[in-house]
Amino acid sequence: MTERQSRRTFLRDTGSGVLGFYLAGQILYLTPAEAREQNIPLRVLNAHQARSLDALGEVLLPGAAAAGVVHFVDHQLAAPAADQLLMIRYLGVEPPFTPFYLGGLAALDQQAQARFQKPFADLDPSQQTTLVGQIAQANPEGWDGPPAPLFYFVLRSDALDVVYGTQSGVESLDVPYMAHIVPPSRWGE
Amino acid sequence: MKAVSERVDVVIVGSGAAGSAMASRLAAGGKQVLILEAGPDRKPGSLISSGIWSRRLHWGGDPVIERGDDPISHVFNAGYGTGGSAQHHFAVWPRLHPEDFEIRSQFDRALDWPIGYAQLRSYYDQVQAASGVSGDAELEVWRPPGDPYPMPAVPRFRQSELIARGFTERGLKVAPLPIAVTSQAYRGRAACIWDGWCDSGCPIGALANPLTIDLPIAFEHGARLVTGATVNRILTDPGGNYATGVAYRTAAGETVEVMASLVILAAFAVQNPRLLLASANDRHPQGLANSSGLVGKYLMCHPGATVYGLFDEPTQCHMGATGGQLLSQEGYAKTTHADSGAFGSYQWIIAPAVKPTDLLGFATTRPDLFGPSLHDFMKNAAHHFANMVAVIEDMPVLENTVTLSDRRDASGTPLAVVSHTTHADSKKLWQTVVNEGKDIMQAAGAREAWSGPQTAMHIMGGTIMGQDPGSSVCNDFGQTHDIQNLVIAGPGLFPTSGGVNPTFTVHALVARSSEHLLQNWNTISRSA
Repeated sequence: MTERQSRRTFLRDTGSGVLGFYLAGQILYLTPAEAREQNIPLRVLNAHQARSLDALGEVLLPGAAAAGVVHFVDHQLAAPAADQLLMIRYLGVEPPFTPFYLGGLAALDQQAQARFQKPFADLDPSQQTTLVGQIAQANPEGWDGPPAPLFYFVLRSDALDVVYGTQSGVESLDVPYMAHIVPPSRWGE
Repeated sequence: MKAVSERVDVVIVGSGAAGSAMASRLAAGGKQVLILEAGPDRKPGSLISSGIWSRRLHWGGDPVIERGDDPISHVFNAGYGTGGSAQHHFAVWPRLHPEDFEIRSQFDRALDWPIGYAQLRSYYDQVQAASGVSGDAELEVWRPPGDPYPMPAVPRFRQSELIARGFTERGLKVAPLPIAVTSQAYRGRAACIWDGWCDSGCPIGALANPLTIDLPIAFEHGARLVTGATVNRILTDPGGNYATGVAYRTAAGETVEVMASLVILAAFAVQNPRLLLASANDRHPQGLANSSGLVGKYLMCHPGATVYGLFDEPTQCHMGATGGQLLSQEGYAKTTHADSGAFGSYQWIIAPAVKPTDLLGFATTRPDLFGPSLHDFMKNAAHHFANMVAVIEDMPVLENTVTLSDRRDASGTPLAVVSHTTHADSKKLWQTVVNEGKDIMQAAGAREAWSGPQTAMHIMGGTIMGQDPGSSVCNDFGQTHDIQNLVIAGPGLFPTSGGVNPTFTVHALVARSSEHLLQNWNTISRSA
């Protein structure tokens, strides 16, 4: 690892599938939640986009923000397309997926500004819920991004992945996970 | 760029169900076989039990551009890496019915197959013994003639018992689902433990996928597999009379040529026609094997109907096989719903095991829910959810196609454009079946019953077989009419789709074709 790379914190999958965060020359094995807690720098999303995604995830599924939806999405967007594990790969959107996410977050903020003169993350919970309910149905007037219902569905899926898509998430529903090969142990803890 | 040539008897493009089965049979027959797989290498130990991680098993190669009213969900339905889409398939293995082979003759619609059920029956029997299928042939009253299943039926959990009440209430029969999963230890393979992780690849060998069944046999007989090898051209002799091999791109961007006496395309129903069209040359300006103009035509994809219910009783919906537990083919006759303008066959697959998330998880069945109400639904559905899915015949349409795009991949090969719109009669059948399913779910006692949108299940056609070289691409053994040592294997050969899952039929066709190729090797194969 070069000195330059060591300063550019990045995330990658190891061959064994363990989620590894490279930071200043050290590999840290973290869950997305732990990465969030430790404020691991992001590779794709800027601070404003991350804040919007954090807020949107929390509206879609309370607990998604703390479960690390921002770090999960950012990690996947930084990976090569064939290795990305986001639900969006099933949904007819051609990679790279980053423009879809950034376009959707920008459009969401645009809507929030137009209606409430604030970015989405600064809206009160009832305003956020109203807006999310609208994008779930159709493109709001003036929406300038990927199809709003698809954006909603994709982000909702990401929130579900980090909250209920892990072994501990499944077990939180009192359903036994019964893995043959257990997913990387640090996921979802 | 540099070219490195080697010579083999058979080069096979794709390591999925068809490619692996061809490799095992031809290698066991003494042929030197090389399999080229575009995706990465997979081993049983890498098949993590997780809806998130198993997304790697789905298509991750060159983009496929989808058009039409009813896209085929190529990424979800195709595979990537060793084992191809069969590595994440659910192993629901019903047989086609005799009438599926002769729709044109019987109903003056669509197309006939060049063979009938009678010619395929013994191969179904042979394959089910080799791969292991669990079921109950006597209870499966709709089943065409065939040997009894080699293993007893899969166990039934609460979900299937509850839904079965609805079928009984409506006077409809159900039977154990025929499924290529071990209900008991079978030929050295462990019995399934019914944990619902089939679509993550089944690392214990209970499900009959290529890593478990065919590739070990192929390797034992000397076949080799090269992964990360994206084939971008089929090579021919200067006269264009026979195939001489293929060219592929490595992950490092190097181009390699392999010479072979027999070239088999088993890269699924989209990439096979793409390769044929992209290999056009002076002798075959419309693409290889395309004198009929039908390469890429008649692409089909089963419209899936999904029906869900919430019961007061516990359903154990996480238990069982991802494929399901019960089958009903009471509506298989083509004209069952002719009064509504519908035509075609369908079957209900009852009580697939379901996980909380992922595309087929119960969270996805209520996309309208978010926030605290989504949490409430998840907690409820985890213990009270039930589901069933109908596989509905997609009548072939000439205008449903694979064509080439102006856009190209890293090697300069045009990308595939897929256009698919479900036949109007198939859409009518879909709507009728959805209504039937909700009625059955309510009759079963569900306190809520709802349905999902039309889904895309299984990709077929595009290189159809037939007797007439003017109206088909391949003969009944998969040899292209134009170039006899260029062979297609897989569901792309199907002239019609039937209303059943295609993988068992793919295997039966491979068994028949490989036998023919070995018996007639000296006349079919060509040395470059």
